[in-house]
Amino acid sequence: MIKVSRLYWVILILAIACREPFEPEIEPTDEKVLVVEGYLDTEGIPSILKLSYTRNINLEDGFTETYPEANVFLESESGEQYSLTPLDSGRFEFANDISEQENYRLRIFTNDGNSYSSELLKPILTPEIIDVGFERNENGIEVYLTTKGDENADDFLWTYHETYAFRPKIPTAYRYDPDRKTVVLATEENQTSLCYRDQLSSDLILETSSRFEDQFVFRQSIAQIPTGDERLSVRYSVLISQKALDKAASEFWEVMRKNTDDLGSIFSPLPSNIGGNIKNDQNPDAPVVGFVSLGTVKQERLWIDFRDVIPWGRPEVPEYFGCIAEPDTILIKDYEIAFNSGGFMPAIPIFCDTCYEPIGFRKAERRCVDCTLRGTNVKPDFWEE
Amino acid sequence: MKQIYFLLFGFLLTFGSIAQTNTSTKLSGTFLGMSFERFVEKVESETPFQFFYKKSDVENIQVNLQASNSEIRLILDEVFLNTGLTYSIDSSQRIWVSKGKRILIDFPEEYFKIQKRQEVLVNAGDSLGEFDKNKRFIIGKASDNPESSTAVLSGVVTSIESGNPMNGAVVLEKVKYSQVATDRNGRYQLTLPKGRHTIWVQNIGGFQEQRQIDLRGDGILNMSIEETIMSLDEVVVSSGALSNINKLDMGVQSISIAEVKRLPAVMGEVDVLRGVLTMPGVNTVGEATTGFNVRGGAADQNLILYGNSTVFNPTHAFGFFSAFNADIASGVELYKGSIPVNYGGRLSSVLQVDPKFGRKDKIGGSGGIGILTSRLSLEGPVGEKTTFIVGARTTYSDWALKLLEDEADLNGSKISFYDVNVNVQHNLNEKNILELSGYFSQDDFRFDPDTAYSYKNLNLSLGWRHFFNDQLEGNFTVGKDGYEFGIIGQDNPLNSFDFGFDVNQLFARADFEYRKNSNHIFKFGVHAIQYTINPGTNKPYGSESIVIEDILQEENAREISVYFGDEFTLSEKLSFSYGGRYMFYQMLGPMTINEYVEGAPITESNVIGEKTYGKGENVKTYHGPEFRASARYILDNRSSVKIGFNTMRQNIHLLSNSSSISPTDSWKLSDTYIKPQIGGQGSVGYYRNLASNKLEFSTEVYYRYMNNLLDYRSGAKIVLNDDIEQDVLNSDGKAYGVEFLLKKNTGALKGSLAYTYSRSLMKTSDEPSVEKINDGEFYSSNFDQPHHVVLVANYELSKRINTSLNLNYSTGRPITLPISKFDYAGSERVYFSDRNAYRIPDYFRMDFSVNLEGNHKVKKLAHASWSFGVYNLLGRSNPYSVYYVPEGGKLRGYQLSIFAKPIPFITYNFRF
Repeated sequence: MIKVSRLYWVILILAIACREPFEPEIEPTDEKVLVVEGYLDTEGIPSILKLSYTRNINLEDGFTETYPEANVFLESESGEQYSLTPLDSGRFEFANDISEQENYRLRIFTNDGNSYSSELLKPILTPEIIDVGFERNENGIEVYLTTKGDENADDFLWTYHETYAFRPKIPTAYRYDPDRKTVVLATEENQTSLCYRDQLSSDLILETSSRFEDQFVFRQSIAQIPTGDERLSVRYSVLISQKALDKAASEFWEVMRKNTDDLGSIFSPLPSNIGGNIKNDQNPDAPVVGFVSLGTVKQERLWIDFRDVIPWGRPEVPEYFGCIAEPDTILIKDYEIAFNSGGFMPAIPIFCDTCYEPIGFRKAERRCVDCTLRGTNVKPDFWEE
Repeated sequence: MKQIYFLLFGFLLTFGSIAQTNTSTKLSGTFLGMSFERFVEKVESETPFQFFYKKSDVENIQVNLQASNSEIRLILDEVFLNTGLTYSIDSSQRIWVSKGKRILIDFPEEYFKIQKRQEVLVNAGDSLGEFDKNKRFIIGKASDNPESSTAVLSGVVTSIESGNPMNGAVVLEKVKYSQVATDRNGRYQLTLPKGRHTIWVQNIGGFQEQRQIDLRGDGILNMSIEETIMSLDEVVVSSGALSNINKLDMGVQSISIAEVKRLPAVMGEVDVLRGVLTMPGVNTVGEATTGFNVRGGAADQNLILYGNSTVFNPTHAFGFFSAFNADIASGVELYKGSIPVNYGGRLSSVLQVDPKFGRKDKIGGSGGIGILTSRLSLEGPVGEKTTFIVGARTTYSDWALKLLEDEADLNGSKISFYDVNVNVQHNLNEKNILELSGYFSQDDFRFDPDTAYSYKNLNLSLGWRHFFNDQLEGNFTVGKDGYEFGIIGQDNPLNSFDFGFDVNQLFARADFEYRKNSNHIFKFGVHAIQYTINPGTNKPYGSESIVIEDILQEENAREISVYFGDEFTLSEKLSFSYGGRYMFYQMLGPMTINEYVEGAPITESNVIGEKTYGKGENVKTYHGPEFRASARYILDNRSSVKIGFNTMRQNIHLLSNSSSISPTDSWKLSDTYIKPQIGGQGSVGYYRNLASNKLEFSTEVYYRYMNNLLDYRSGAKIVLNDDIEQDVLNSDGKAYGVEFLLKKNTGALKGSLAYTYSRSLMKTSDEPSVEKINDGEFYSSNFDQPHHVVLVANYELSKRINTSLNLNYSTGRPITLPISKFDYAGSERVYFSDRNAYRIPDYFRMDFSVNLEGNHKVKKLAHASWSFGVYNLLGRSNPYSVYYVPEGGKLRGYQLSIFAKPIPFITYNFRF
């Protein structure tokens, strides 16, 4: 009976709950809702405001997005105006050192004749990040952050941007030079064996410091990296941004987080309609998405080297499945035939006992050798070895 | 353990096969699909009886029955039922079968005269049996009330075997079809013309018995009848075929435990609430919810009573099982239309689960061993006057999951529960009965190792039933109902927390029923509840935790209702029921509340101050009446119409921001800003019996309105919110629909087919509020599922093999779908449609089960049965919800199904 019961639980847990793709027929809506995103820095550090429109949920990639053209400025209660400089793709730059003692309103005049105003914005000075670090646990590592709230800054939002170095499955110091029709040593500019990737995480991490003694947020978990993940195969860096929010903003971000993360499980809450603090001046009931805040952003960068986490295990990257260096040696005379198309690349040099230059190469598919297919071989400016 | 039962079972089987053929006039055996001639051969071979009949008369008769040591007469009554054939048995044990008129032979001398006189009194064609056990009872004195042409016959029907009162036995007089069902105490009362009658008693599913009476004045006739060992059907329903038409209440659905047991079970657990879901007008939003919606009302608008105890969370294992142990329940009634005046406090319905009390003859019990759960109950007498029943259920998962620890992904999950019921009944004397009923349940579960959920129900009640006289009965009950849940999160020792919520109510009620004469049944009483709610505490868990303790202020309130109602029989055809309740509710201090700008939305920015109330001080009072009225008009013997209207009030609300009942939903009392829910319902129904009462048909149309419902603004925070009034939206609701039910309660094929068309709509009310959902227009509520069809079919292959099939179809429930997307904070995010503007795909499920009974010898140690079957036979993945998640920066839609595959189950049941 115990055995049967055990088996039954396994079946139940594994089999009963089932997740399948869902593609409902949604009536195409022409509803274009203005989306406003921005946390404008009050200390003059350039910060970005983004304007865009919502688009149909079923739109695939390759769709060219249209961005609103607009005249955007920040207006203080005392009547002073600070305009934002338009950049490309609906982006606007704000770089003004403004007083944190005043209240402001963001005004947007789009060229379709609509105008939008934010509610009154009160700048919030974000407290410093006290510490960032990481900790090894049974699943991998956890990146954490410690900070402390104060009377003005109680609710926090953390986002993070990751950058990491990685190598291809079969790194090589050589490259085929199609001009000279031979294999040469790669230079720093065209090397394919060490690349960098970066990604802005979609995670929204929210916490309220007054839940804790002395508003001390201790070792707040930011990111989890499972053992064997490629991000820690060479060197990893994460830039964590800390933003203090007022209560309304924290509710907005909470709704956004819930709408993204928490839906669909058995006890999920109902989705909430997301709004924000921007209103259409002509039609206050028209939907506008986005919450603009004023304040300071505190950032802290954390570095983790693969040596810090040894043993880590070999990353399993789906792009590298089935990668091998083919056993047959490609001799010099065959280089052009083998490598000119670019499908294969010289991977492992073969030397004879006495020769100075390789007499041939074992070849491998490009995807296994060339890291620039998945990243850039240009080292980011901030990168520290 | 298992082997022992196998042995026992095997032994009993062997024992059972030795048929008792020597009894001279009694008969045993299974007769299935036999022609009458074969049946005769068999009977003649086993008994001294000889049959005489005309071949052409019996050609079309098929015999389908099971007998164990039964009177031949009872068997023949069954065989000839509705065939137009009758029979006589003479002193030489010859059986004369005839069509129409009975062949008269050999009357016992002393019966002859009586018989002659009866033939004068009674219409021709109404054959009065002259059974051996028929003795003429003279009831009452002719000198009492000689001018009245009618007299009242009353009494108690008890079981011969256990001595217990028979609930739901039908007592009827077939000439004028006066009939009544016995109440919980086996009591009945009939008003009949003076003179001679044949009174039939039928425990539905069991045999009919009759008594000859000569009614000369008001009097008492107590009857003991056989329970139903022979027919295997357990004590069945009060609303049998005849009551469909005659019953005054409308919108009442009864289901017997026997019927519930025939339904295919989920994971082998007989589930009372799943039986309720086969009734028209009852929906559920998802499979893992035994929270149910009645006629477009929310799940918290159902008053769920076990005896007199309110059960706040009627489910186990977050909804997979119901909290009621079917072995400790005797029946279930759902009032969804005209709610009796003695119930109140919820808007939609009353689900009354009747507790079972112990048998009086000997210690016995029952139990079951399933794959996930097992249950055991024990019952019997203690001394002369006291009976008890104790039952318990538990899961095995604790040890099952320990074995799973090496299997990586599973060791974090855990589901376990148990519950215990104790019911004790003590008969002080004929006029006084004490009843003690207790229920306790505990659930623990988690889906990952770090977060553990638990919840508990605790119910205790002590009742005293007193019969002041034949007309007046009083019930006095005191009790306590409690529910609590907790979450312990230990993701990180520093942030580990212990969250708790609990609700408790102390209640006292006095209910009286006064039968003035056969024309009036008065019900009146008073009902008081003292509520205490701890809306939430969050405490640090473990010594390292730096979580700050957060304790929301306790809520205290009291509610007092008085009620009066009358069931008034104007004539045989026309009856009324009318009455009212008056509810007085007070929220009491200590409490501190926010004060808001008058006439402005209740938001944080409109707070203008605080007001503090001392202990016991009145914070807010609400009071108001509830009305109940219904009428029934019998059109003819086979059909009737009913009409009803009632209003309800509800002071306790479930705060839930998910579409199903989730274990973290908390209850909230009406306060200064959250007003009592108020609603009303009007309904009209038509009832008709078809095919000589074999089929019952009913249809009801209803319209409901509801005010002060709760919906939530976007981003509402429900847990640990001291200012919850800022996050809820006062809403209005309306619901309407039409229900059809066709039911067959007799024969080898039993079952029901229910179709409901219903709508349930809500809108944010016109009060000032921070947000008007869907611009203040009506929108579908979360459980607005217009079409709903349930088919339950049960076919008895033999008395031992019983198969059942359950089909369930409903329109998909409404959801709010993402209709567009946008980039925000590094990912695609979704923008949602209007509230509940779309629906998930329709729901369809088929279940199948087989019950195998052991043999039916009365005298064996234990009766055993196996039940096995498949839940979701077609393996259809019915989506429970739909959601979108960003994966690698792209949005993907998924549908989540809970039972996406056929789930087989098997359970071994026994009783002794």
